[in-house]
Amino acid sequence: MEEVDKIVIHSLNVIGCDLDEDIQSLRQFSTELIVSSAIRCLKVINNEVDLPNSLPSGMSARFRTGTSLASIIQELGYKGEIGYQTFLYSNETEIRKVFMFLIDKLPKDKVETEEEPLGASALLQRTISASVARYLDSPWVPPYLKSKNITWRGKPPVWQKEGALSACKYHSLPCKFSHGMGDLTKKISKEVRSYYSESLPYITNQTIHHCDTAPSVMEDLASELTAQQEWENEWNTIGLPSRLSEQEYRARKRQRIQKRLKDNLRSDVQRSGDLTSSKSAMDLQQMIDAMGNRSSGSAKTKGSRFIHTEQLIYGKDEEKTLSQIQKPDIDKGHTEEELQKEREEDIENIKTEYNNLISKIDNLELESKKLTASMKQMEDQMSTLLQQNQDKEESYKVKKRTLDLLPDAENNITKIQSVVDSSAQRLVTLANQWEKHRAPLIEQYRELKDLNSKKESEAEKKLEEIKAFRSKMKEVADDARQKEELQKQLIAEYERMTKDVNRSAYTKRIMEIVSNIKKQKDGINQVLVDTRSVQKEINMLSGKLDRTFTVTDELIFRDAKKDESVKKAYRNLAALHENFEQLIQTVTQTGTIMREIRELEDQIEHESKSKVLTNLEKITSDYQQMKKENSTMATKFKQQKS
Amino acid sequence: MELCQSVLDGVALAGEATHIPDVCFQHFITKTIEGVLDKSSRNTIKDDKVFNKLDKSILKEAYSGVLSLLLEAAKFDAETATLSAILEECKFTQDRIDILLQLYQEKKLFIQILLGNIGTSPPHIVDVDWRLDYYIKSNQLEKVNEPVYLISLKTEVPGKTDLEEVQFSCSLEQLQFLLAGDLEQCLLTSFESIGA
Repeated sequence: MEEVDKIVIHSLNVIGCDLDEDIQSLRQFSTELIVSSAIRCLKVINNEVDLPNSLPSGMSARFRTGTSLASIIQELGYKGEIGYQTFLYSNETEIRKVFMFLIDKLPKDKVETEEEPLGASALLQRTISASVARYLDSPWVPPYLKSKNITWRGKPPVWQKEGALSACKYHSLPCKFSHGMGDLTKKISKEVRSYYSESLPYITNQTIHHCDTAPSVMEDLASELTAQQEWENEWNTIGLPSRLSEQEYRARKRQRIQKRLKDNLRSDVQRSGDLTSSKSAMDLQQMIDAMGNRSSGSAKTKGSRFIHTEQLIYGKDEEKTLSQIQKPDIDKGHTEEELQKEREEDIENIKTEYNNLISKIDNLELESKKLTASMKQMEDQMSTLLQQNQDKEESYKVKKRTLDLLPDAENNITKIQSVVDSSAQRLVTLANQWEKHRAPLIEQYRELKDLNSKKESEAEKKLEEIKAFRSKMKEVADDARQKEELQKQLIAEYERMTKDVNRSAYTKRIMEIVSNIKKQKDGINQVLVDTRSVQKEINMLSGKLDRTFTVTDELIFRDAKKDESVKKAYRNLAALHENFEQLIQTVTQTGTIMREIRELEDQIEHESKSKVLTNLEKITSDYQQMKKENSTMATKFKQQKS
Repeated sequence: MELCQSVLDGVALAGEATHIPDVCFQHFITKTIEGVLDKSSRNTIKDDKVFNKLDKSILKEAYSGVLSLLLEAAKFDAETATLSAILEECKFTQDRIDILLQLYQEKKLFIQILLGNIGTSPPHIVDVDWRLDYYIKSNQLEKVNEPVYLISLKTEVPGKTDLEEVQFSCSLEQLQFLLAGDLEQCLLTSFESIGA
């Protein structure tokens, strides 16, 4: 029972009843404690229970609390007997039963969620909330007691930032590292080496302000790390299938980028050329138009006549208005009509002039086009003529030689014939030789080709393998990382869990109890077997007795007819038998009585446990109190009535 | 915690006894940590006689490698186990790992303070002075009889060594709003009073 009590008390403590540490069993529970902890349990089970947290002082109120408590517990499904008396006049066993029922009913999902392994974000949030709570709990410290704005608290000391005195902005500068000094395979030029050893400042001395050192180093690290990852990614997806070595791939990429840069620059230069050409148009409107035309395509640059006239009219107008604004006093002498006329005339003049100019420009453009076309034609002609000229020169040369040979024709013909013959022969021998050389070469070529294709396929296979290995490597690394994280989490979880020793203790106790019960069961079985064997013996003995009695009875009865003294003996035997029977009966009676006595003793103990006497006293006193309350109420009522 | 190859190379250099002898390893690590923590000793490693005989270029690479490692470890609040795993990968001997871990644990909090101070913040209230005045009358009114609180908030501004002050006066009601954390209400009432 002690174990049960311990569990009950522990779980009551968990749900927030503050029990004293020296309460070890339910026997020590006072009525108030019982009621308050039962109410607490009910409130945890069902939030809507509307009961006072502690026992009220008035007797009737107590009674009401007790009955409502009992009814709520019955509603929850408690099967045993329960009423107000269970709480107010407590009986240890009944209370234990009630509490066991209540604790069984306590919601468990909260516990289950705690047992799940938490994610990294939950852990992070927990640490954040813990440190914020620490900050909130810590008392205020005057600023002159802090060194900069840091205070050290707790044991082991943990720093806390209060204030912003020592904050410095995140400002990073590029750092210079010395690279590859440990790698002997890489060659570093003498100049770089001497720069590293002589002039390169130490990394903590590279920034202007010392506080920029850490940000600079960290940024450098992060950028290098991301670059590395990016490169690996690119190499895996694009670099490997391109089947170039790393240097080649890099070189090609550099070329590509340079080419793009060049193209961009070139197009920009062209564009800026366009801009300078339009710079001659100083008017803002024209400038904007020029820009608009450029963006909407070169087709519009010439512009329709309408646009030109519009520009002209508005431009002139603007100029006019400007001049009007600038020189209003000069224009004062003219009347409005004159001005109008003048203006119209001007416009007419300018229009005609403009039209002239436009037609002229058009003409000139046409002419220039024609001229360029004719120029091209001329160039073509010239090149064809040059070609012809060359051809003719060649033919002239040949003809001249043949003419030279003509005078000694026959001789020359034979000479030429011999030359032709010898050259034909040479050709044949050369062809033969070529054939000789060609056959093995072709064979070799074929072999090499085969080999090459084989190698290629092999390389492809290897590439595939490399790819597979790389992906596998990544997977394994990821897996390992994940597992490590999980392990860390679980370790943290485990460290948190160890506080709850009770759990393992409980399971241990339960195992012990189970083994105890097994032992007891064995003992009971043993006793049962013993009693059965004893009963058997008794039965056997009584049967034997019966049989021997009948045998002796018959023998003596037969003799008794003949002898008088034997008759006496027979009578004695009967008496003896009777007496013994009585004796046996009394023995069995004493046995049953003993059993009854034991049962009664048990009952007495049971009754004494339920504190009948004290409870009775309590009840009587409560009854008296109630009576008193009733009487005072009655008098009050009467007073109010009167 | 991931580190790039150049840092790992530097750390590996620091772990080799041929480059940095056992005798001066501990001194080297303390110098490294001091270099980033203490402004006055940012360049003391240069003139340190202990390292006179060593190849300066290797020393520099090892120095920046170890520094980066320690900063990164403090940033991630790395456990000693993770750090020792990294060091083992860089072929450190057990003695050197122990020395480095011990120094790291001693100085970790200080490095974290250094990292925690990076950044900026609005002025931070650290202290307050106050005075209670009781207005009996003013130039316009014969009888005012109102308490007026003069509050001066002492704030720390990043980048300045002295405390700055923010002074204002407020009525009892406004002060109550202020203390309840209801700054909006406080400002509202003060605007109302100005409008009135």
